[in-house]
Order: sequence, then C-alpha cells, then structure tokens
Amino acid sequence: MEETNKQVPVTVLTGFLGAGKTTLLNRILTEQHGKKYAVIVNEFGEQGIDNDLVVDADEEVFEMNNGCICCTVRGDLIRILSGLMKRADKLDAIIVETTGLADPAPVAQTFFVDQDVADRTKLDAIVTVADAVHLSTQLTDHHEAEEQIAFADVVLLNKIDLVDESGLEVVKERIKKINPFAKIINTTKCGVSLNEILNLDAFSLKRVLDVEPDFLTSDHDHEHDDDVTSLSFVSDTPLDMEKFQDWFSKLLQTKGQDILRTKGILDFTGESDRYVFQGVHMLMDASPMGKWPEGKERSSRLVFIGRNLESMNLKEGFENCKSA
Amino acid sequence: MKADTSQFAELDKTKFEQRGTEFKLGIPVTNAVTVGNSIAVGFGDGTVRIFTSGKSSEPIKAHKGVVLCMSKDGDNILTGGDDGRFLNISLDGKISEIGNFGTRWVDHVTANNGSLVCSSRNIVYLWSPNHKEPKLFEHNSTIGGIAFDTKGRRLAVSRYGGVTLWKKDYSNKWNSSELNWKGSHNKVIFSPDGKYLVTSMQENQLHFWRLKDKIDSAMSGYGAKIKSFAFVDDSKYLATSGAKEAVCWPFDGDGPVGREPICLPYVGNKLVTFVEPFPNENAILTGLSDGSVFLSEIEKASNTIIIRSFTEFEVSAIAVTKDCSHLLIGDMGGNILWTSIWDEEKK
Repeated sequence: MEETNKQVPVTVLTGFLGAGKTTLLNRILTEQHGKKYAVIVNEFGEQGIDNDLVVDADEEVFEMNNGCICCTVRGDLIRILSGLMKRADKLDAIIVETTGLADPAPVAQTFFVDQDVADRTKLDAIVTVADAVHLSTQLTDHHEAEEQIAFADVVLLNKIDLVDESGLEVVKERIKKINPFAKIINTTKCGVSLNEILNLDAFSLKRVLDVEPDFLTSDHDHEHDDDVTSLSFVSDTPLDMEKFQDWFSKLLQTKGQDILRTKGILDFTGESDRYVFQGVHMLMDASPMGKWPEGKERSSRLVFIGRNLESMNLKEGFENCKSA
Repeated sequence: MKADTSQFAELDKTKFEQRGTEFKLGIPVTNAVTVGNSIAVGFGDGTVRIFTSGKSSEPIKAHKGVVLCMSKDGDNILTGGDDGRFLNISLDGKISEIGNFGTRWVDHVTANNGSLVCSSRNIVYLWSPNHKEPKLFEHNSTIGGIAFDTKGRRLAVSRYGGVTLWKKDYSNKWNSSELNWKGSHNKVIFSPDGKYLVTSMQENQLHFWRLKDKIDSAMSGYGAKIKSFAFVDDSKYLATSGAKEAVCWPFDGDGPVGREPICLPYVGNKLVTFVEPFPNENAILTGLSDGSVFLSEIEKASNTIIIRSFTEFEVSAIAVTKDCSHLLIGDMGGNILWTSIWDEEKK
C-alpha cells in the first residue's frame, strides 16, 4: 500500500545494567542532528535520556495463543509502535532500550508476528552493549546475558580500557563461541561511529547473503549442556527441497525453544535460485533471492545458534537432506 | 508507477463526494466521535477538529503528539494522547485537563453519566462527578480497552489473559470479577442489551462472553487483526473488520454459536478496516483499506451503495451525526469527507 512506503527502522539496544546502553543512546541522540527519533525506554533506566520523544514501556511479554510454545511477543511494543505510526511527523528511526535482564527473542518475534508492526516498521539490528570487565561472569551467571550475545548483530564491547589485552581476547573468544556472526566493536565509553550501529538492515534476507562466518568445525570442547553455542554446516552437494523442508520444519517444531537464531543459504537440486532464510526460534523469514552468481561455486550454508545443539543430530539431519 | 488519473477524478466521484466537502489535510485521522449533530475528529498531530453543518472546522491544538483515543461526555469531547494528557474539550473548543500522566500514554477514554474514565498502563482512573481525585482500578497488565455498559453500572477492562469486569453495587462500591481467556485482549464492548461482552485479540480473532452464564467462545477465521467492531440495530448483529468483507455475526436469540455470519459487501480484494453501524437501521458503513466506503443493509446486501471512492489510504474513522443528516469519513492519509446523507429535496 502507498502509505506504508517506507518502513521505519527499529534498533534494539540490549545489554546488562551498567554496560553503557544509556551512554550509547545519548550519544546517538546528540550526534544525529536533524533526525527525528523516538526512544522507547523501560522505567528502570540508568540515567536521563535527552530526547523530545521518549516513551516509557513496561516490557510486557505476551504468549501468542497460537499453539506455538516459544512464540512470545512484546505487547507494549505492539501498542507503542502502532501509536507512533499514527504520528503526522515521520520518524527517521525508533530505538528500543531493553532492561538488563531482557530476553531479546520476544522483541525480535514481535516484528515477525504482528502484521501492523511488520508493515510499518522493520527490525534494523540488535545491538548489545557488553562490559568487557564483567561479561565473562555475567555469561556464566545469567541466561539472559547469553541470549543478548546470541541475538546480537553487533556487540559493542565497552570499557576495554579497564581490561588487559589477554583479558580482552578471552572475552572476545567467548562472544565468538556463542555468536560467530556478531560484529564485535571495541570501545571505551561507547565511542563508535553511528553508521556501524544504525541502518544496518541486519534482519533482511539480503544481508544473510553477506554472512561469511569462519565455518567452525564441530570439534567443540565439551560444553555445559546449557551453554549457548553455534554450529555451522556447508555442503557442495545440492539439497533435496522436500527432504530439507521435512527435516527443518520438524526440527523447529520440536527444538524451536532451544534454537535461538538460524540463518542459511540453500542450494536445491533443480532450482536456479538461491534460497535464503533467517529465523528466531520457530519463526522464519524465507525467500528465493535470485540466481547464483556466475562463476561461483554453488553451495549450501546453514548456521544455528542455540542451546543443546549437540543433542539434535544436526549434522546427520543435514547430511540426509543431500540429494542422492 | 502510477497513471495520472486526475483528469478522470471528477467523473469518478460519488454523489456524496460531489455534494459534500473534501479536506486533504495530510495528517492521519485517528478517531472520530459523534457529539449530537457534530462530529469531532482526532488527528496524528494532536489536533481535534469539530465538524458541524454550516460551520467551519478549525484545528484545536489539544495534544502534543497523537490523539490516541476519543469519547464523549454529554456535549463534551474526551481525548487521550501520547503526551500523557486526558482532556475535556467543549464543542466551542475550550480545553480543560482532567489528568496528566507525563511520559505514560493515555490509551483509552470513556464516560458514563458524568463519570470520566481513562486508562494509562495497567491502571483505570475514574473521576466521579464533583470529585477532584480519581478512583484507581489496578490490573495485572497494560489495558487493551475499556467500556461501560449502557446503564453505567458495569465497567469492562480488557487486558492480557481476559477481561476484568467491575460492577458497582448499590452502595456505589466497585467489585471485580474475572473473565479469563488466554491471550492478549484489545478493544472491548458490551452489546447494547447488556447480555454480551466482546473483545478483539492480538490473534486474528474475537472472543465473546454471554454474561448471564459466562459461556464464552471465539469468533475466528479472519485474515487480519480486528481493529473495528460494533453492534448494529440494537444488538442484532456484531459487525466486524479484519476480512475482505464486513463479517456480521448474529447476536439475537441464543447468540452466534453454531450460526453462520453474514458477510458483505463483497466489492473486491481489499481488507475491511472500519465498520460503523448506521443509527437505528439494520445497516452498516464499511470502510476499506483503499479508502472506499460502502453503505449496506445487512439482510439485503444487494442494497449496497458507494459513499466514497478510493483514496489509497485505509479508512480509520466513520461517524454519523445523531440526527442522521451528515456523515464523516477519515483515513490514514488525512483525507476527510464531510457530507449530507440525503438529497436536499428529501430533507
């Protein structure tokens, strides 16, 4: 429809209390002159926000009554985003700051589930601010810290001036183990160029094509069952579409709660187009994305971030999808 | 790419568009409410305009941001905004502030017999006549909608997980009971006969309770969220948006369970975004996502006439004056049609 012309980008800022979310937020608001932002904050904000349009949110997580056990959305976001879209003045962007203990999944799922939200806004990226000093402890102690790293498109590793070089490497390794795709940016006091965190379009299928993770071999050290890790698979043999759909839909139905994020580019037998998808838990965005580039090898790539991945026989399941 | 159709525009106009006045304000219309023979309209820039036959309609600067909700109290207009203010506006444009909640939005407003009610977050605030301080009704989640029954003795508050029903006993004390149904409930209304309570949900469905025995059921099968629904012809039908036709559920007799709804007017592939009962008739005005509006008799769908042709913007408000002489249509592109309903000679 005409009036929907441009979806307003929504950037989600997550991170533990004290990591520097509000510092980053105020930096965005003061540096982006002439832009109109709406900022959605929670009531337990660390410090004042300097913006005309600040909306208080309650972080209400609603279960959808659609039989999908892990399908939760942020009810307050649906209400607030719908209200903001009625404004006469058009917004350049919306920034959502979550509380330190928030799980980013319901935020991301809101953009898949609510049609009005999806029509008028788009999730631009999840930016997680992490405290280089405390992240390791937080990851050990809190599920939420792992989830915030797992869902991140960008991890702003803040306060690096307070750790030594080897300490920094340890933290970075830990982040990469959870989420090999997140771009890690080292900062002190959230000093980052804003084009590294805004207008990234990180949730678009087009961006999945850019994903070039260093495909980890699956010789992981023994993990705690509960740790968030990632697994990646590559195949030069084309896949059978029916077999893949069968396996993948069953996998999400039964293990969707443990699978936090997925991304993939698929080469199906007999199809000239690349198939691209990305998902959050059980929700999936998928589409053919044009022909394979000429002169480049066709191959399928598949990435999972989640808990208990080792128990899902992912390698075997994926191998079985290969065309005979 | 769009063809230049402006040269044909005059030819395509309905008789209502030719007869009435069109305003191209470019500001999203968020609400409209009938106040006697005037219609008050709320906009996405915080202004309110009052349309009365023979008078001009100047913008009244009411809220800073969006007029989120509107209702009326006698001859006064009530508005709630995303500036956190709950306002009372007289027909001559005088504004008085009833409540102010700062950065918390006023999501819903209503009134009954001089009691003024609004909700912000999870709290309903009720100002009784001649009381300066409101009475507070707290709930377990943000409120999706509020509604009085016709007599004003019951106040329904929809929320996550169902509806809280507040009942005023004869010593004017409010007692609550819960009607639970899993999921998030938005707008809520009573049937005019007081027998039913209906909510729209975050899922593409409605839920209703028959109040005498608390029997409840879902009305589903919609392609989109149901943003607009209303009882028609006292309580005979419930007309609903959210599909490619206005879906009208029968609520006479034993209610809709096991009965088929009437769907009308089928005029193409566009989604119905707004339904408004035509007062005192078994008829509805149906607004579509392309801006067009039709008037149909529910039990005689062949009696359908076009009121407004398309504007490309979804219809977000329709209202008819109390004397049924004029109607107003507003859309999300800020286009308004204000027109008399009958030919001059028929008046």
